[in-house]
Amino acid sequence: MPEYTDNELVELFRDASRTHYAFNLLVRKYQEKVYYFVRRMVIDHDDADDVVQNIFIKVWNNLGSFREDSKLFTWIYRIAVNESLSFLKSKQLRSYLSLSSPEAQMVKSLHDDNYFDGPEIQRRLSEAIIKLPKKQQLVFNMRYYDDLSYDEMSEILGTSVGALKASYHFAVKKIEEFVTSN
Amino acid sequence: MKLKHNILNNNEQLPTVLQELRKEANGFRVPDGYFDSLSPRIVDEIKRQEHASFSNVLVFSIRKPRVWAPVMATVVVAVLLIFVVPAKKASTIPATDDWTELNMAYDASYAEEAFLSDSHTIDKEIESKDINYSEPVSLTGQNGPSADEIAKYLNEHEYDAILLNEY
Repeated sequence: MPEYTDNELVELFRDASRTHYAFNLLVRKYQEKVYYFVRRMVIDHDDADDVVQNIFIKVWNNLGSFREDSKLFTWIYRIAVNESLSFLKSKQLRSYLSLSSPEAQMVKSLHDDNYFDGPEIQRRLSEAIIKLPKKQQLVFNMRYYDDLSYDEMSEILGTSVGALKASYHFAVKKIEEFVTSN
Repeated sequence: MKLKHNILNNNEQLPTVLQELRKEANGFRVPDGYFDSLSPRIVDEIKRQEHASFSNVLVFSIRKPRVWAPVMATVVVAVLLIFVVPAKKASTIPATDDWTELNMAYDASYAEEAFLSDSHTIDKEIESKDINYSEPVSLTGQNGPSADEIAKYLNEHEYDAILLNEY
């Protein structure tokens, strides 16, 4: 499969005769990064699949008007953050009808998940992340797993670098305490 | 202060356990072929949503009074123009064929003149002939049967001549 830069993909997408071709390449280029980011947030594979589809559908609908004042992946990542948070918010609203909290449901899903085969320590790490506040979850996952710079995270989340650093610091502390104590 | 300094200058080291876990896979896996089929499924969903949104826009637009009211008014006016108005005009507007053109060219004064002309001709014929009104008019002309022959015919066929004479 040919490799295109992000700018080339955007130009290809805007060519009416090659829109679908460019979109297919773009999805294949970023699908794994987007999927695993979402999966770490929502835990369940089927939920992650739904959210990922919504993300790329939004990319399809809006890429034509992409202003290129940020990097393409930063723009896609921002959509992924918004869609993941929207999903978790809707899940929280639905959980008011049930007896358990959304976090408890996600922990249970993590233990029952057929598509999780990591060691127990990995499961505990994921469980610790679930228990963090949503913003801290995002900061931790983006820094720890995706190795984004604080400047990139600041651009995506609209938060100052200092606040992001502090958020990451406290997230790491909480996770370490949870993983090592239980 | 030192903590804040360390945080802002990113001097924090990750705990050992997290450093070790970072090197490994995160434990999440996907069904076989998931990523190969993701792009086609997304494209199918886009097409489905585009089709659905077009239908919804159409239905939603039709259900809005400010959309369907003018549409209905236009339909009613069109029906009136197509069916009702032509039916009324058919009684006043003649068909455009040759007979109609003759009728349209018809002038009553010519008809009256023709009638008078014919009447004058008939009067002239009558005046020119010496017609004997005392003689019975032969319906069959001069070569027809005589009265005796007729009476004989009637007797042979048992017709009552007296009754016929009465009539």
